[in-house]
Amino acid sequence: MSTDVDIAVIGAGPAGMTAASTAAEAGLSCVLLDEQAEPGGQIYRAIERLAARGERFAEILGEDYARGAAIAQRFRQSGAVCQAGVQVFDLDADGVLGLIADEGARWIRARRVIVAAGAQERPVPVPGWTLPGVMSLGSAQTLLKSAAMVSDVPTVIAGSGPLLYLAATQLIEAGARIEAVLDTMPRERYLAAAAGLPRALMAGGELRKGLAWKRRLKNSGVRYLSNADAIAIAGEGRVTGLRARVGHRDMDFACSLVLLHEGVVPNVQLAMVAGARHDHDGLQACWRPVLDPFGRTTVANILVAGDAGGIGGAELAAAEGELAACAAAYDLGCIGEREFERRTRVPQALVRRKKPLRRFLDTLFRPRDEVLVPPGDDTIVCRCEEVTAGELRRIAALGCTGPNQSKAFSRAGMGPCQGRMCALTISHLLAAAHDRDPAHTGHLRLRPPVKPVTVGQMAGAPDDA
Amino acid sequence: MQRYSIVSIARNALTGHRNWQRAWRSPEPKPSYDAVIIGGGGHGLGTAYYLAKEHGLTNIAVLEKGWLGGGNTGRNTTIIRSNYLYDESAALYDHAVKLWEGLSQELNYNTMYSPRGVMMLAHNVHDVQVFKRHIYANRLNGVDNEWLTPEQAKAYCPPLDIRRDARYPVMGAALQRRGGTARHDAVAWGYARGADALGVDIIQNCEVTGIRRDGDKVIGVETMRGYIQAPKVGVVAAGNTTVVMDMAGVRMPLESYPLQALVSEPVKPVFPCVVMSNTVHAYISQSDKGELVIGAGTDQFTSYSQRGGFHIIEHTLEAILELFPVFSRMRMLRQWGGIVDVTPDRSPILAKTPVRGLYVNCGWGTGGFKATPGSAHTFAHTIARDEPHPINAPFTLERFRTGRLIDEAAAAAVAH
Ligand SMILES: Cc1cc2nc3c(=O)[nH]c(=O)nc-3n(C[C@H](O)[C@H](O)[C@H](O)COP(=O)(O)OP(=O)(O)OC[C@H]3O[C@@H](n4cnc5c(N)ncnc54)[C@H](O)[C@@H]3O)c2cc1C
Ligand SMILES: Cc1cc2nc3c(=O)[nH]c(=O)nc-3n(C[C@H](O)[C@H](O)[C@H](O)COP(=O)(O)OP(=O)(O)OC[C@H]3O[C@@H](n4cnc5c(N)ncnc54)[C@H](O)[C@@H]3O)c2cc1C
Repeated sequence: MSTDVDIAVIGAGPAGMTAASTAAEAGLSCVLLDEQAEPGGQIYRAIERLAARGERFAEILGEDYARGAAIAQRFRQSGAVCQAGVQVFDLDADGVLGLIADEGARWIRARRVIVAAGAQERPVPVPGWTLPGVMSLGSAQTLLKSAAMVSDVPTVIAGSGPLLYLAATQLIEAGARIEAVLDTMPRERYLAAAAGLPRALMAGGELRKGLAWKRRLKNSGVRYLSNADAIAIAGEGRVTGLRARVGHRDMDFACSLVLLHEGVVPNVQLAMVAGARHDHDGLQACWRPVLDPFGRTTVANILVAGDAGGIGGAELAAAEGELAACAAAYDLGCIGEREFERRTRVPQALVRRKKPLRRFLDTLFRPRDEVLVPPGDDTIVCRCEEVTAGELRRIAALGCTGPNQSKAFSRAGMGPCQGRMCALTISHLLAAAHDRDPAHTGHLRLRPPVKPVTVGQMAGAPDDA
Repeated sequence: MQRYSIVSIARNALTGHRNWQRAWRSPEPKPSYDAVIIGGGGHGLGTAYYLAKEHGLTNIAVLEKGWLGGGNTGRNTTIIRSNYLYDESAALYDHAVKLWEGLSQELNYNTMYSPRGVMMLAHNVHDVQVFKRHIYANRLNGVDNEWLTPEQAKAYCPPLDIRRDARYPVMGAALQRRGGTARHDAVAWGYARGADALGVDIIQNCEVTGIRRDGDKVIGVETMRGYIQAPKVGVVAAGNTTVVMDMAGVRMPLESYPLQALVSEPVKPVFPCVVMSNTVHAYISQSDKGELVIGAGTDQFTSYSQRGGFHIIEHTLEAILELFPVFSRMRMLRQWGGIVDVTPDRSPILAKTPVRGLYVNCGWGTGGFKATPGSAHTFAHTIARDEPHPINAPFTLERFRTGRLIDEAAAAAVAH
């Protein structure tokens, strides 16, 4: 296979758009691939369309959205090629990418690949989470951003993390019928995180912005309850209510939609499939690729930028995109050492400045143990194959030490989602059962295709649908 | 050992299935055994089982570097058949099929052997001639195999497209009705459980790192968990055989290739049998879970990467789409590979070696799962008696020097 482009960037969020712009501006041929119909990524979803549509939505979605428009504009002017609506289903260590577009599967080879595939929401395996009527808060936000869709049924939002405040506020302001917002962050966390607060405050406006969202949420008139715990969703065949412990009281809420959210974790699929080494991050309780300060992975041709390398937020993602593209340009001999140093100075400074904030947020919002490992035996962990926490614990007691072995006993992680919704839980659960560090237990081995591909697409034949 | 029966299932159902015993122990390695088997796949565990059961050797251990069945046993597409051309192969594989037929009873463990029929498609005149020759040869050896017209093939497997103008037209098929599939992990687990009950130590997470010799005879193995003395060592390490045999200073006529397979999303039962096409290097069946299980050819170059090239998969799926257009919109969920060890004549080696007390069972290439019980049974005989069973006697290491090959490679192009 010949080399098709110098740089392929996967993911058109702030990290990917910035990386692609930087690479193209440096004179490299560059293609940016994203499965969405348009660039923007998670935070700036549908940014160009919304920017064109006028004020109301921009207002609801906040000032950040405007910053996204500038990133998108730079990208459009950079000369990088944008291929939207393209899923990347495979990536190997030689920089060969498998793509699916309308016409079927095809392969391209890039001299360097920058994976900027963003984050995914952490699975929240509470009792009843597989009932129809339970969604992730992020998906509700996605519907709002991409389709201006807001559900009008009685809704309860439960979870924790900065995004909880933001997305809940956005949904309330867009007219959703929110019965209650249950914040599951334990109160003691303030204490644990307090030491890092002064430095976090200096790291930039985000913390103040976060507090502002929280204030807006509290002032919205919607019932906001903190220190919630033991979330369980009730219903036969679909959601009819939710029970939680708030403080020391059990409370019941009637609702037909539950939106869960316990933070986001790096989307590690492509980098893992390519063979890059990943370590378990104890504080964020997730896996992340091992990276040098510029985003180089342990695989020579592959770099990672943005949330895909560790959760950091949009501003950091853009800076990391810039750094990764500079590293790739330097490694390909396209820019010299002086130029490399000049270009990386500003983004590196930003990365340094944001670190204390990240630590503070990670400490504050570290998921509770009950999110990582469901305490009840009946709670489903792998929803595709309907494997419960109890069954996995039984398998662990039989001597099964890791998630690749537990597949053979239970099929956990072998269904249509191929572990996207359960890999983390399985590892944490088996680690807890053996009283081991999850780093030891390991992660479900990921295999291509990372997105389901039909026989017809893969065979390159036109789909007769 | 806890016996499995309707009664025990019912009793355990009442207690929420919390009282099942562990199917096998997890012992610490002893400093010395009468024999050790390197490799806890189906063949290795089976060998240990028959050593204990039929030859009374119970002070033995199976050493597995990972977990039981984590090698090719747990990665394969589980096709079972015995319609090989040569007398030697037909005898070996049919010995296995006969053991498969009673294996669940023998082990009191459901290995889910399902003789649903294996149909091999002929796409050109050469295929037709070769398959008919196979059928006649098989019949002479008492192995069932029959010729089907395209219409009969379609009746046996309705999703098959038998239009004459296809790129790979179906000109007929050879059907072995006793062929089929079995549950891969269950074979390893069933043998493990049986061997354990007879006193065999099954030691997981115990990689063998060296083989110690005293002159021309083996005296023990180095492992990650210490040195273990053993006057007899059986190597059953599939794709890692070359590496392990190197430890004893024995060079093997083997090449390792990645072999790939993939599965689709589960659907309702649509595919009643196993279909193979050697010409296009594809084979397909439907699992009990409803997934289509698809096997591809080996890569063209040797490697130890358990990944394999995607172009092979692309080629396989193109062919499958031709043969079964209904699968066009089935989603493929996962692709994987295993390292298979291939001999020059594509037949296995089940034999003594130049080192006394060292035995090797390897070279199963792309098709050793089907042979598991037969291979294990005859290999146990070879180790216990220090001489081969008549069935595996031809599968020597020397044949690559003497030229007395069992050339299934030439006979079938591939052997799954
Ligand atoms: C559901 C959700 C909602 C969020 N909402 C907000 C918010 O409102 N405000 C905020 O500040 N932060 C939000 N975040 C966090 C936000 O994602 C990050 O701060 C920021 O977007 C990270 O940018 P990025 O460039 O690293 O990745 P992203 O912006 O997430 O971009 C990744 C892109 O990669 C694409 N992609 C991934 N895998 C593939 C593939 N295999 N093939 C093709 N394309 C692929 C995705 O389609 C996506 O467009 C949210 C995160 C999530 C998961
Ligand atoms: C994708 C694929 C599809 C296949 N499809 C079929 C099919 O349809 N039908 C069929 O008949 N066959 C098929 N095969 C072939 C079949 O899987 C093998 O021939 C058979 O399973 C080999 O069994 P085994 O017990 O010898 O090897 P394995 O199951 O691989 O066992 C060998 C064991 O040795 C262990 N080991 C290796 N080195 C060491 C060491 N140094 N110390 C300790 N332990 C060690 C390994 O960890 C492994 O568990 C397929 C193979 C693959 C990869």
